Amino acid sequence: MGLFDAIGIAGSGLTAERVRMDVTAENLANADTTKAANGQPYQRQEVILKQASSEGFDGALQQASAAQEPDGVQVAQIVSDATPDQQVYDPGNPEANAQGYVKMPNISTVTEMTDLISESQAYQSDVTAMQTAKSMFSATLEVLK
Amino acid sequence: MALIDATQQLLEAAMRGSWQRQTALTNNIANAETPGYKPEEVNFESALQSAVADDQPVGEVQFQTQAKPVQAGPNGATVSVDQESAKLAENGLDYEALTQVLSTRNSIESAAMGIS
Repeated sequence: MGLFDAIGIAGSGLTAERVRMDVTAENLANADTTKAANGQPYQRQEVILKQASSEGFDGALQQASAAQEPDGVQVAQIVSDATPDQQVYDPGNPEANAQGYVKMPNISTVTEMTDLISESQAYQSDVTAMQTAKSMFSATLEVLK
Repeated sequence: MALIDATQQLLEAAMRGSWQRQTALTNNIANAETPGYKPEEVNFESALQSAVADDQPVGEVQFQTQAKPVQAGPNGATVSVDQESAKLAENGLDYEALTQVLSTRNSIESAAMGIS
């Protein structure tokens, strides 16, 4: 157990929440993109988080001694949402098919905005945890005075 | 009375336990959105109590970080961020109280030794 573990763990939480906010912002920015890099409508992206674990010697030692130490959180992967595209009737649109429908991305602005709120609140919680750890350090240093 | 008596050792052990709890709580908050995560807790008070009852040296007690039995909420989340934040604040204050007591004891000893 290191002295600065708590700050490192809160930091990993901050990084993870920031990635989630980046992805949400990307989704919002591309809410109307009918041609992504592959020529198809943009697909909603989603972040999957996983519990971080020590690698290399530290990880092997922990597994051998069965003493699990907390290591924070990390982004496992960013995946595409498989929900089908929305079909919007807009015959005037150059992207419209023979029936006058345009394929739009599978993004609901409301979902993205609520995600953004929960992400920024999780970020705040991590900041609070970091501040508490910091004031505990300061209290320890005060003992030496 | 020895210079470093039982109370002093107990204070130090409690600070160590409180610190370990802080790390576990921070990890719970960081993993609040991780699917399938099991929140952890450190029950250092009971470990210290049994060590004191059995007359064991408290300085050598190792505290366990254990997974907490929880039920997943409707969205699959196992961590209640507000409960964990409340515990975090409480633990921070506990720790500061311990350091205050330690400082006071140190200054009493300093005064006794004539160090100002």
